[in-house]
Amino acid sequence: MQTIKLKIKEEVTSGAAKIPVEVDPLTPDKLAGKTEAEIKAVKVWWGNKEENTGDLFDVSVEGEAGSAEEVKIVLEGDLSRVKHIGDGMKAGEIEAQGDVDMHCGAMMQGGRVTVKGNADCWAGREMRGGELIIEGDAGANLCAMYRGEMTGMTGGKVIVGGNADECAAQYMAGGEILIKGNTNILAGLNMSGGKIVIEGDAVMPCADMTGGEMMVKGSKVRDIIPSFRLVGTESIDGVEYKKYIGDLAMTEKKAKGVLYVK
Amino acid sequence: MEEGELLIRNGVVYDPINGVKGEKKDICIRDGKVVEEVKNPKIIDAEGRVVMPGGVDIHSHIAGAKVNAGRLFRPEDGRKGVKARTKVCRPESGYSVPNTFATGYRYARMGYTFVMEAAMPPLAARHTHEEMVDIPILDNAALPLIDNNWMTMDYVKSGDTDLLAAYIAWMIKATKGYGVKVVNPGGTEAWAWAKNCDLNDAVPYFDVTPAEIVKNLAVANEKFEMPHSIHVHGNMLGHPGNYGVTTSTYDLVKGIKPYRDRPAMHATHTQFHAYGGTRWGDFESKADVIADYINKNENVSIDLGSIILGDTTTMTADGPMEYSLYQITGRKWTNHDVELETGSGITPFLYSGKSPVNTIQWAIGQELALLVKDPWKLALTTDHPNAGPFIGYPIIISMLMSKRRRDESAEDMHKVIFDRAEYSSIDREYDLNEIAIITRGMAAKTLGLHEHGKGHLGVGADGDVAIYDILPEERDAGKIQKAFLNTKYTIKGGEIVVKDGEVVATPAGKTYFVTPECDEKLTDEMMVTLKDRFEHYYSVNFNNYPVQDAYVPNPYEIKAPWRS
Repeated sequence: MQTIKLKIKEEVTSGAAKIPVEVDPLTPDKLAGKTEAEIKAVKVWWGNKEENTGDLFDVSVEGEAGSAEEVKIVLEGDLSRVKHIGDGMKAGEIEAQGDVDMHCGAMMQGGRVTVKGNADCWAGREMRGGELIIEGDAGANLCAMYRGEMTGMTGGKVIVGGNADECAAQYMAGGEILIKGNTNILAGLNMSGGKIVIEGDAVMPCADMTGGEMMVKGSKVRDIIPSFRLVGTESIDGVEYKKYIGDLAMTEKKAKGVLYVK
Repeated sequence: MEEGELLIRNGVVYDPINGVKGEKKDICIRDGKVVEEVKNPKIIDAEGRVVMPGGVDIHSHIAGAKVNAGRLFRPEDGRKGVKARTKVCRPESGYSVPNTFATGYRYARMGYTFVMEAAMPPLAARHTHEEMVDIPILDNAALPLIDNNWMTMDYVKSGDTDLLAAYIAWMIKATKGYGVKVVNPGGTEAWAWAKNCDLNDAVPYFDVTPAEIVKNLAVANEKFEMPHSIHVHGNMLGHPGNYGVTTSTYDLVKGIKPYRDRPAMHATHTQFHAYGGTRWGDFESKADVIADYINKNENVSIDLGSIILGDTTTMTADGPMEYSLYQITGRKWTNHDVELETGSGITPFLYSGKSPVNTIQWAIGQELALLVKDPWKLALTTDHPNAGPFIGYPIIISMLMSKRRRDESAEDMHKVIFDRAEYSSIDREYDLNEIAIITRGMAAKTLGLHEHGKGHLGVGADGDVAIYDILPEERDAGKIQKAFLNTKYTIKGGEIVVKDGEVVATPAGKTYFVTPECDEKLTDEMMVTLKDRFEHYYSVNFNNYPVQDAYVPNPYEIKAPWRS
């Protein structure tokens, strides 16, 4: 096992402007096999300038790794302006010890990202595989598609400890999401596959759904889309749920989505 | 070394307008123009390489309101083709709706130096010119949409072609346009009434037929010494069984004598107009019928509108057509109405080799090129981005030049290609001279630009040259495609702008526009009605309407005197 600690230098985010840092080059698969000096020389964008990782982060490396699977990256310090953590990563592990900025775990293919705080918008965007754990809240467009695309998350597993904001899992086509808190409007918008479990409440879920499954365990589901059809009740793990099929607004033929509501 | 002198030595030159068919020849350029000889030039050794005049694209949507709407509407397209800025170039992005910089660089890398923006809504002419100025390297021009215009239809109804001529003259001048563009005549206006028009249907309220509109505009256009004919996107584009409408549209200009040695009509993106069948289920190619018409008649020139497989963004002033496309795909769409003038629509589309319809469309685009005997009657286009992005031209070139490549690709397509199109039975292969005709010579001649130094390499022509890194006898389709995608050199106005496929200089291009000179009395009479129209119906003041000179910083004016 190898642990790479990257502690963001205070001066990087202390300015009034709080210029963001984009760390998509700092994933286990891209850093595996690199020495401390080489890691320090990896270029990352800080605003509109490309900087050395070593100039923005205190870098320390412990242990050896034979492959990306054996690499764990620990990000420390104020990460609230650190974007694209684990973007596109294929293997290994990243742990972010605090709140993180947008696009955390976007385009992920494998490995695991753990965020010890909240994640801003677009976490898990277009995720294809791997595991993303957000212990706090997730911002808007969790696991959604890029603007204009028609495919969002297609694989992998996401757990959010807190709430998720608007349009979670838009255009989701595969994979699993567990949200332990509540969701804001339009979770599962345009969803065509995969499974979402919301332990809290939801507002207007699954509009334009054509496939996949959502279960809302909370007692309040506001504004169920009128174009969903109640087809009966089902008992899941000893709890009675109403089962809806939709979204009929997408035509009867395409309405293959399933929504369970208490 | 003399400043401004260039010698391209020992290249194998294809200059069809001057009858040069692959001769080893030197090209001398001084101060941006081709000359007889140079004294002490910078030398480019083109030994064993193919040399052609800069490419001329007769029909492409590269600038203006709907192109920009397409960019805004498709952020996902902007993720493709991203290239960081260099010391010379600004950043590129986009595939089917590339940004202005990418548009200029990509065309230049393919050896093109002139592109015609094929549809400029007159009210959005300023926007179009602003974007054209922003496109580096390329010389350009734009065709204003005049056919669905209320004034036009009123004059067609009254049958007064002289006043109609006065009106189109004013419109072309006011928009700094190049000629008359016709898009689904009458149909775009009918779309504002939630209808569409076939060739002989009456346009709601105006009570004229599309056929009358086309005919009258063709007559009015030839009243001036216009370099280009009317440029027609006919009715029923993209509808199964539309080939009869297409040939009937061609018939409309029979008997109209063009001002110069070009046909009286240019019919564009003909692939979309060569459909048989009655619905998508029995859809078939009628490229043979259209090609037969073109072979037997001299009244029409065409461009292909060949399909490039893959995702693209369709955009046209033909609003009803975009709506029917949306009904097929269910994808996002947008429509726009341009006051008294025209309209437009945009929707993304995926051309798939697995789809029987798309497969036949793919076949039709190439069949047209292969069945029309005289290459001087057709130009290579993809109606960028409607049938596919212009960056796919080298694919079509390689298909036309290699029967083997066509056979191989047909194997990967839907099997209908073997029974509802003639595609696989055609053996013809284009040679480089014919490619030079359909990518430069024909377009330059049809647009009348050969008289202004475009599309050829005779003495006095613009120093626009493309040098392709292939041997003239090369038959390998892959190598041909690669060579036509990135030139060894592209030279624009005597300046090297592309070297080894990389853009090395980005001079500004010129904007070509036509000034039709109408009889003053006619103009005065037309003006009374026009001003009334502005007062009552336009949201824009008459005096604020015409595009000011400042919007065309590098102008090239072509005067078109009144003939009768």
